[in-house]
Amino acid sequence: MKIRSRDLRILCIQYAQALIITVILGGILIRAQGESPTEALKYILEGAVGSPTAIANTLRWATPCMFTGAAVTLAFKSGIMNCGIQGQVYTGALIAAIIGYALPMPKFLHMPICILAAGIVGMLYALIPALMKLYLKVDELITTLMLCFVATYLTEYIVIWMIIGEKVDATRSMANTSPNILETAEIPKLIQGTSTSYGLFLGVAVLIIISLVYRHTVIGYEMKQMGENLSFSRAGGVNTSKMFLGVFLISGFIAGLCGGVEVTGSYGRFNINFSGNIGWDGIMIARIAGNNPLSVIAVSLIWGALKAGSMQMERMTSLNRLSVNIIQMLFVLFVAIDYEKLIAEFNRRKATAKFKRQEEMKC
Amino acid sequence: MLRIFFGTLTLAATVRLATPILIASVGSCFSHKIGTFNIAYECFMLFGAFFAAYGSWLTGSPAVGALCATLSGVVLAAVFGIFVFHLNANPMIVSIALNLGAWAVTTLLLTVIWGVRGTFISPDIISFKPLKLPIQGGLAYLGEIFGNHIILVYIAYVMVFVAAVLMYRTSFGLRIRGIGINSIAAETAGINVLRYKWAALIIMGASVGFSGAYLSLSGLNSFSENMTAGRGFIAFASTLVGDGNPLICGAIAVIFVYADALTLTLTSLGYPTQLTKMLPYLAVLLVLMVGGIRNIKNQSTI
Repeated sequence: MKIRSRDLRILCIQYAQALIITVILGGILIRAQGESPTEALKYILEGAVGSPTAIANTLRWATPCMFTGAAVTLAFKSGIMNCGIQGQVYTGALIAAIIGYALPMPKFLHMPICILAAGIVGMLYALIPALMKLYLKVDELITTLMLCFVATYLTEYIVIWMIIGEKVDATRSMANTSPNILETAEIPKLIQGTSTSYGLFLGVAVLIIISLVYRHTVIGYEMKQMGENLSFSRAGGVNTSKMFLGVFLISGFIAGLCGGVEVTGSYGRFNINFSGNIGWDGIMIARIAGNNPLSVIAVSLIWGALKAGSMQMERMTSLNRLSVNIIQMLFVLFVAIDYEKLIAEFNRRKATAKFKRQEEMKC
Repeated sequence: MLRIFFGTLTLAATVRLATPILIASVGSCFSHKIGTFNIAYECFMLFGAFFAAYGSWLTGSPAVGALCATLSGVVLAAVFGIFVFHLNANPMIVSIALNLGAWAVTTLLLTVIWGVRGTFISPDIISFKPLKLPIQGGLAYLGEIFGNHIILVYIAYVMVFVAAVLMYRTSFGLRIRGIGINSIAAETAGINVLRYKWAALIIMGASVGFSGAYLSLSGLNSFSENMTAGRGFIAFASTLVGDGNPLICGAIAVIFVYADALTLTLTSLGYPTQLTKMLPYLAVLLVLMVGGIRNIKNQSTI
């Protein structure tokens, strides 16, 4: 994957310009709320990388981003609009939590089984839209979106009415989490006393594997080809249906893993609707990373740093954590601009104007 | 059983709750037909709901609130249009950023303006008053279903037919459909494609923003964080399933909302809310499945 110097220049322009505009608008936003932007930035950095705990927080929030970013990259690179990451994460997480608290197992077996089961359930949940697309020709964008909402309510129902309902009746309306998982099911913590676990490395590993598959294998090439030009890859002899199903299921599997790692690594139980926009985050991260699996790692770290930093900022200033969210969205908006086309358009117009001038001079 | 499915309570709730979905999905038929991909419904609707509440709170007039909602939808649609039409950004990413941004911005405004987190309820937010329709006598059953709603409800149903006429009986609608089928051919025929794309987008923004006004001005006198709660996506689903035909979209929207209205009755009978809340989404999936059955005989390719 060689990057031509021209591409690199455009890429630099793209990110630099997005960053500058975002910083200016973000500064105005913070200033409008009566706080100093530099002060806010200082607290964000302090909360993100200022101390070992801060770094642990950054890594903790980067972990789910890596998994969802990987799931989205995989799907979107093959032209599959898997917007149901959230549903796959939730179903996977619930299974991990249930196996984690209800089935005592030896230590070396329990945790892998939890995570693996989470992945498989996420995969099965992705099977529904995949089959609907293959056999009924229903657009997977809309089915995955709807299944997101279904999963949110379904997991809520299972936790409140089936898990908590039979354990403690009195507090049914109060508690909305499943019981804590057993110690054997927990992923060992990377940094003691925080909720950062070795699950981080699983996320990095998944992304590196995807990157290697894309670079060095025929299947990886076919997967990319399918997203770039479906009819070409079909004409080239790729079984697109089989490939579609495979990629969709692996995407669901990775999303399920995310749920499993969140439960066994960080929360230790299933909280209802624990992360409202984890799937959307994944799509945005994949987009900023330009659908490149290795860049997803870097963008996830930035995403995690912003999340950890914004919490610190909220504690220290009167600013709301949502300000950082808004700034993030602004950055996404400006990175989404297609500068290559804009520059081409600009050059074309300049050339036309020049041509016209020359014509006029001749006359 | 019959009372659950055809009782006046359920049907009246269907008529009422269909309002935002109908307005949003019918208005976005145009941008769907012209081929603009846009799933920023939640964003436009949420902003609409917020500014409806804000306008009504400032002036004491629900009509001004609805106007503010419409304007906010138009402004956001313009933002979307600038990014997608002029800066060539990926419409999906712009939509997602706008959706999440809208949630953050409205929640922030909620804390900045009213100083509350979560829900702001105030008698100063004036809602629309229900109209008493003079339906009496043997038609009491219909009267209970169709009478006694706020004016937005009736506007929504009128809009369906207006949109259908605009789409299929005017040159504007013809051009929009033509651009959707083949934009290059339309351009060759001398149509300014970009201008029509903008017009369709503005119609969509205005109507989805306007639909948000129903949420906050229908008698609750409140605005709460993430008030739309997936309604935008339901509207998106009905536009997609109806393929941009306002009449079919309207009918589909009513089916989805019927499932939503059943929630109210079923919950009062003791069914868990979590299960009944799933009904509209399951209804969407079911409709999609039924619609797809005719494709089942074809080879399973994508």
